[in-house]
Amino acid sequence: MKTIYVDNNATTAVAPEVVEAMQPYLTAEYFNPSSMYEQARTPAHVIEQARQQVAQCLGGIDSDQILFTSCATESNNTAIFGSIQANPRRRHIITTAVEHPSVLEVCKEAARRGCEVTFLGVDRHGNLNLGEFIRALRPETLLVTIMHANNETGVIFPIEQLARITKETDPSILFHTDATQTIGKLPMDLKKVFKDVDMLSFSGHKLHAPKGVGALYLKRGTACRPYMMGGHQEKGRRAGTENVPYIVGFAKACELAIRHLNDERHVQELRDRLEAGMVEMIPYIEINGKGASRLPNTLNVAVHGIEGEAILYELNSNGICASSGSACTSGSLDPSHVLKAMDVPFTAMHGSVRFSLSRYNTAEEVDAILQVFPQIVRNLRRLSPFWDDKTNCPTAGATAPPERH
Amino acid sequence: MAWEYSEKTMKLFMAAVHGEAGTHLGEIENADGLGEHGSIACGDALRFTFRVDKHGTDPTRDIITECRYLTFGCTSAIAASEALCILIEQRHCTPIEALQITNEDIVEFLEGLPDQKIHCSVMGAEALEAAVFNWSQKRGVDLKAMGIHLHEEDMEEGRIVCKCFSASEPYIRRHIVEQDLHSIADITNAIKAGGACMSCHHAPGGLQDILDDIWGRGGVQVKEAPETPEALESVAPAAKEVSAYQLGKMIDRCVEKQIRPILQNDGGDIQIVDIKEHLVYCQLTGACAGCAGAATTLKLMVERSLKDSVDERIRVIAV
Repeated sequence: MKTIYVDNNATTAVAPEVVEAMQPYLTAEYFNPSSMYEQARTPAHVIEQARQQVAQCLGGIDSDQILFTSCATESNNTAIFGSIQANPRRRHIITTAVEHPSVLEVCKEAARRGCEVTFLGVDRHGNLNLGEFIRALRPETLLVTIMHANNETGVIFPIEQLARITKETDPSILFHTDATQTIGKLPMDLKKVFKDVDMLSFSGHKLHAPKGVGALYLKRGTACRPYMMGGHQEKGRRAGTENVPYIVGFAKACELAIRHLNDERHVQELRDRLEAGMVEMIPYIEINGKGASRLPNTLNVAVHGIEGEAILYELNSNGICASSGSACTSGSLDPSHVLKAMDVPFTAMHGSVRFSLSRYNTAEEVDAILQVFPQIVRNLRRLSPFWDDKTNCPTAGATAPPERH
Repeated sequence: MAWEYSEKTMKLFMAAVHGEAGTHLGEIENADGLGEHGSIACGDALRFTFRVDKHGTDPTRDIITECRYLTFGCTSAIAASEALCILIEQRHCTPIEALQITNEDIVEFLEGLPDQKIHCSVMGAEALEAAVFNWSQKRGVDLKAMGIHLHEEDMEEGRIVCKCFSASEPYIRRHIVEQDLHSIADITNAIKAGGACMSCHHAPGGLQDILDDIWGRGGVQVKEAPETPEALESVAPAAKEVSAYQLGKMIDRCVEKQIRPILQNDGGDIQIVDIKEHLVYCQLTGACAGCAGAATTLKLMVERSLKDSVDERIRVIAV
């Protein structure tokens, strides 16, 4: 059976061009870039070249503001703990209730270490309340860390506006954004549009580079203490021997991402086709985040009356790889913290499935999903105590009929 | 990282190491000028000597004819020493004229040096100054009287903290104490250190660490009660002439009476989202929303009106 991979917010297929670019640095060019001999020059040189490619992808900023890390989680840890360390006189952090765990849990840890954290809520569509955000800004606020787009729903936050308001209120407040889900999907210009952002995290494996490499944009002069210590690499701001092949692959993926940014329109067409098909064929479903601006590739659909894991299992037996809630929270039985924050009805929350597409998906694949998904839902609903098969409606009391958007 | 030396640097280095003709390795006995810079402790040291063609009556018209150096150091330190000698000999100049050679000239002659190696060129320039000073004493030339002030204040030897400006830790420490510097910005303003790539600000052993070491850290434990951040002290009212409540009322009244009618004339409206001290967050709605001039309208009109009618300190933030 052919695999249909629609879980690109979890990870992506490594682009063949990326593999090719990495190859020499896994074999002949294995030298430590810090070494003095002639042979080490090439790896040292390609890292700087890679830095420029990544900087290009972020709007052509000066490349010395890019630090290579092992993943976006490390970048997020560095940004948050590093800001706390470097700004001991302030102790208030603002974030949202729908962040990825690598921000959410780090902020909770910061709270355990004595910081005060405001977790901003979202509305039914996943949008932030601007007034609530503004009221949260305080004289002792040291950091605002808010994701650019949500990994589960694809809902995009107005980072450029939030950063500008933050800086106009008090330029000493640091602004960090986790842009892991947006780089490669939306244009990013840290020079102009997002100029008020001080720190930005993202990783390679969401844009067709391999896992194990990420970056942190650290605006020149930002008070952020290193997280990894014990080496002069990255000018002392991130110790550890550089992962040369992965950095090269990451940069290549960034270069491809810029080139393929227009393909996102095609990705959005596929997503919209999938969404329209489901809405048409399946009663009692909701599109999570429908009322907000969303990533072009993400579709999070809440199916009333049935459970997400069963849906995934059934999808997978048809070769389809999707996910239910964040991959990082799977394993626990808690429903997604993101959908909870959005107040998605309980019975629909458990039946939420995320399809996330990439430029490698095709219309045929979308149609193949549409061919099996309605039947999977019908089959599972037949088994559900929350579903009345005769009327093809949720049982009384299971949920109020959802609004149709 | 493997250093990216220019071909010129590599060529000069190889020539000097192999003692090729025309290179300047060595020391002039009974030199007319002798200057030293650096020490074995800091990993770079240069002993620079020159001979002059002595002018019969006016020592200031002595011409440097020969230069030699002994250098302990890396590729670029040796190449920079070689460059210094060549530059001086080419000019057929007096020692005082030779002072015009700067470390930038040396870098240029070498066709560039890696940032982290700029201090090698500085070392050359410093040794030259020391040698000229030595010559002036031997020949009885009063440089000060001629208005020439040599940098007595060499960078102290030690670990280089700011690589962009070759500022060593002892040098930075001395200035922090002597000039009572309390922030990274103070340091940069006083001695430039930390002013270019800024990587040394918060790196381990960087400027913030040195400041913290000297002045103590304003609370490593984040649990300690925070001090009032400076940024808001300036925002806080100088005198408690009106309460926050009163200020809010005054702002509301001004919006109602003056600002809203003007906007409504154009089919728009204004909504106050929040007021913090003298920061007024507001949103333009209706016909004004999405208008390209909206931000400007807010800034110019709303802020001016509020400043004039309520308080000069008010700042408007468009949301």
